[in-house]
Amino acid sequence: MASSSGNDDDLTIPRAAINKMIKETLPNVRVANDARELVVNCCTEFIHLVSSEANEICNKSEKKTISPEHVINALESLGFGSYITEVKDVLQECKSVALKRRKASSRLENLGIPEEELLRQQQELFAKARQQQAELAQQEWLQMQHAAEQAHMASAAATQQAGSSQDEDDDDDI
Amino acid sequence: MKMSANTADQDNNVPANKNVSLPVSRVRLIMKSSPDVSNINQDALFLTTRATELFVQFLAVSSFNNGAGKQSNTLAYSDLASTAEETDTFHFLTDILPKKILAGDYLKSLEQMQDDEADN
Repeated sequence: MASSSGNDDDLTIPRAAINKMIKETLPNVRVANDARELVVNCCTEFIHLVSSEANEICNKSEKKTISPEHVINALESLGFGSYITEVKDVLQECKSVALKRRKASSRLENLGIPEEELLRQQQELFAKARQQQAELAQQEWLQMQHAAEQAHMASAAATQQAGSSQDEDDDDDI
Repeated sequence: MKMSANTADQDNNVPANKNVSLPVSRVRLIMKSSPDVSNINQDALFLTTRATELFVQFLAVSSFNNGAGKQSNTLAYSDLASTAEETDTFHFLTDILPKKILAGDYLKSLEQMQDDEADN
């Protein structure tokens, strides 16, 4: 359900997700539509309840970010302590996933080469590239010069021929 | 909606590998719409999402077991409202789930209130 008004209070969990959960939790039970709608709204209320409580706990702890610990304490103080064991399972999974990701990225990035060495290699590569480019540019310049010289010599030779015949004429005129 | 466990989807709407079925980004939006709520650690967000799932399950099961519809295998609005009224931890829901009371009871409580005011 897309909310085009952008009103924060209209935010709810998608109905489909709730329906699926209800179906899995109470299979074969007929659930009235207005009851489903209410469950959707109860979700939002619950999230607000837990967020506010966790936020208060967070503020008291002088930390700026709500941590898993704050949420767990919030659940406890709100009377949902029985959820904590299961909820902690998610935390465990989070940690193991994060660990896997760190291992994977360090395998890629590290390869046993320290950062300074990598930097040095990078500088070397850049220097080489610059040098190659400079050499290329110089070659092109030399080629152009050479070509220009050739053209100049050719035209000079042509002019000389034309010029010598013209000289005779000049003499005559004087 | 669930994706394979190999996909590391942190920012995606679809929760991939954290054992939750509700959309995490939506939960985040709702949390942030709470007044004064600052930043939320990603793991804390997953915890809240999981807790919300458990809440839905408990609410549904409690309402059904204690409800009038159990015999006929149905769950009605009134079952939810009753459970909210009768269960301490669900009291916070009574604002949005007013229990429909019988007209007679309402009139009685109204009289009671008028009597109280008269005494004062």
